[in-house]
Amino acid sequence: MSNRIVIDPVTRIEGHLRIEAVVENGVVTDAYSAGTMVRGIEKILKGRDPRDAWAFTERVCGVCTTVHALASVRSVEDALSITVPKNAELVRNLMFCAQFVQDHVVHFYHLHALDWVDVVSMLKADPVATSKLAQSLSAWPKSNPGHFAAVQTRMKKFVESGQLGIFANGYWGHKAYKLPPEVNLLAVSHYLDALEWQKELVKIHAIFGGNNPHPNYLVGGVPCSFNLEDVGAINTERLNHVGSLINDAIAFVEQVYIPDLLAIASFYKDWGAIGGGLPNYLAYGDLPTKGYNDPSSYLLPRGAILNRNLNEIHEVNGKNLNEIKEYINHSWYQYGGGDGVGLHPFKGETEFNYTGPQPPYQHLNTDGKYSWLKTPRWKENPMEVGPLSRMLVAYAKGNTDVKELVGVVLKKLDVPITALFSTLGRTAARGVETQIVAHWMKGFYGDLIANLKAGETRTFTKEKWEPDTWPATAEGVGMTEAPRGALAHWVSIKDRVIDNYQLVVPTTWNASPRDPKGQRSAYEQALIGTPVANLEQPVEILRTIHSFDPCLACAVHLYDPSGKHIHQVQFY
Amino acid sequence: MKIDGRTLVLGIGNVLLGDEGVGVAVIDHLQAEGGLPSHVDLLDGGTGSLVLLEPMREARRMILIDATADGQPPGTVQRLEPRFSTEYPVTLTAHDIGLRDLLDSFYLLGEEPEVVLFAVSIGWPQDMRYSLSPEVAAALPAIAAAVRQECLRP
Repeated sequence: MSNRIVIDPVTRIEGHLRIEAVVENGVVTDAYSAGTMVRGIEKILKGRDPRDAWAFTERVCGVCTTVHALASVRSVEDALSITVPKNAELVRNLMFCAQFVQDHVVHFYHLHALDWVDVVSMLKADPVATSKLAQSLSAWPKSNPGHFAAVQTRMKKFVESGQLGIFANGYWGHKAYKLPPEVNLLAVSHYLDALEWQKELVKIHAIFGGNNPHPNYLVGGVPCSFNLEDVGAINTERLNHVGSLINDAIAFVEQVYIPDLLAIASFYKDWGAIGGGLPNYLAYGDLPTKGYNDPSSYLLPRGAILNRNLNEIHEVNGKNLNEIKEYINHSWYQYGGGDGVGLHPFKGETEFNYTGPQPPYQHLNTDGKYSWLKTPRWKENPMEVGPLSRMLVAYAKGNTDVKELVGVVLKKLDVPITALFSTLGRTAARGVETQIVAHWMKGFYGDLIANLKAGETRTFTKEKWEPDTWPATAEGVGMTEAPRGALAHWVSIKDRVIDNYQLVVPTTWNASPRDPKGQRSAYEQALIGTPVANLEQPVEILRTIHSFDPCLACAVHLYDPSGKHIHQVQFY
Repeated sequence: MKIDGRTLVLGIGNVLLGDEGVGVAVIDHLQAEGGLPSHVDLLDGGTGSLVLLEPMREARRMILIDATADGQPPGTVQRLEPRFSTEYPVTLTAHDIGLRDLLDSFYLLGEEPEVVLFAVSIGWPQDMRYSLSPEVAAALPAIAAAVRQECLRP
């Protein structure tokens, strides 16, 4: 028997992702992923000063603001051949690392954990047994029975009141939840600890960027001045604060996040063979140590893997017109040269052409256009982007930090390396990356302090700041990684203003519709073979989709006045 | 940690979506006017996120300004005192971590805040545009005055 089920919206945070899945005999046999809001920031940017673009792009998303600003300033610097001073590189790297660590932890506890953790089961846990379990896993201090009993009492009130959307919308009691009550209580307790902790770490953004949630960036460097003795500048006291936040981050990741990840994963090893999806992985890489123009110096390396062949890493060039192209045959756009061609972002066009049904509708016409996301391809291949892609590229390139930690995780879970190509692998890779990036952050911090102590305080270059020093036309690409995957901005400057601006964001790679050859993108492919025990509660589909950390905010914008928070599940 | 007597005025919204950014526009308006008492902090919360939990927790009172697509004429303002996130009006979902998600997290941390919400009606959908519609722009001084009055309440 075949059923078509619809989940809309899918994101746990507000978003506009819709999944239509065909389920036969309890297994997904086909799937369609649609972005139901349109994005058009490209149109707002045309004609503006390229030095201001970062402030607009930063607003496309409240979750990964800093990476859009980074991609934007880099694209302009690339176009104008500006090299930023070493301290600017270090500060940008520190902000990047802080963003990654915070976002990955928030993803795990606040956006993904409830796919695996049954909040209601937690109410049956024995606080004493939970305390013993916690102490066996980690040295984290908040682990006595009284603490867990207090958390349980507090949560009971919320669960019973039904007033909190985050706990009201789960499929509690579903047989796919396999954790003992004590592990559930442990995870919920750390859900609360993570909420408290995450808001501290991102103070790093306010210290270097002046503001949160939208920190300042600057073409040519970073807008902060260092003076170790001056109370008005970033001085020793503030830098010490950054240092202690980094140490706290390492402690939280090592004592809470990673032990929880391993403890939870050990009950869900079957998910090491589900949700693998595409065999192709793309990473732009980031964290330069010798400048943006030298990708070989990146701690997170750049490269592409095809057919899961870890013995061959392909070079990736954002400027080569034959590599990255966006198709719109299934997207609500139109191209001047016809909808069948793929356009490199330098040639990108943003003309809307909505041909879908007027909402509310039952289902989309998936034979035609069915999404506001374009379909990006790398050398015509559909690619997965995100932590798994980054860790696989780093692993294949022989990064010793990554190889070692991946080995530890595989050994602790007692699963083969092929388990990486899965829903579980995606979620584990995010944890591996968090721990490694937290340590790299400490390294960048040390380098910055050493520079400052040596008297090197430059954070900005004025070279090419004035538009009259610019060529008549210029184009550049700013490539980076958002926590959820490869992100790049392409800018064309003509007569000193923006002539064209295109973003290709991670969720567009992962959540896009089929391409002209009928090849599925990452979400659609990853769902094939996913078991669905109860059609009305497709928690298994959410597990795989959430493992990608979907965030449609920058991929799409608009539509849906109803503010639905409960997943709407429909059958056809 | 609570800081005695602080009032946080938090404007939420996406300024790239026309009227959806009205909450941020009110903050900008109040900032330009100046003259608010020193216990009042103005914050452009933008598209928000869990990052906002920190300033929220430092405040004794919170005055939130957000857009709503409730079908009333654009620029209509309602003053609400919601006690739970489920009592919030239809907010717009173009925010990333929406106001309700943010407040759910806030309550989970054991907070029982004094919250006043100014919900500004806007048309929907909004075009991608970096400015307010004439209707909402015309209502801006009155909205800012209402927020200012709220700040001055004992």
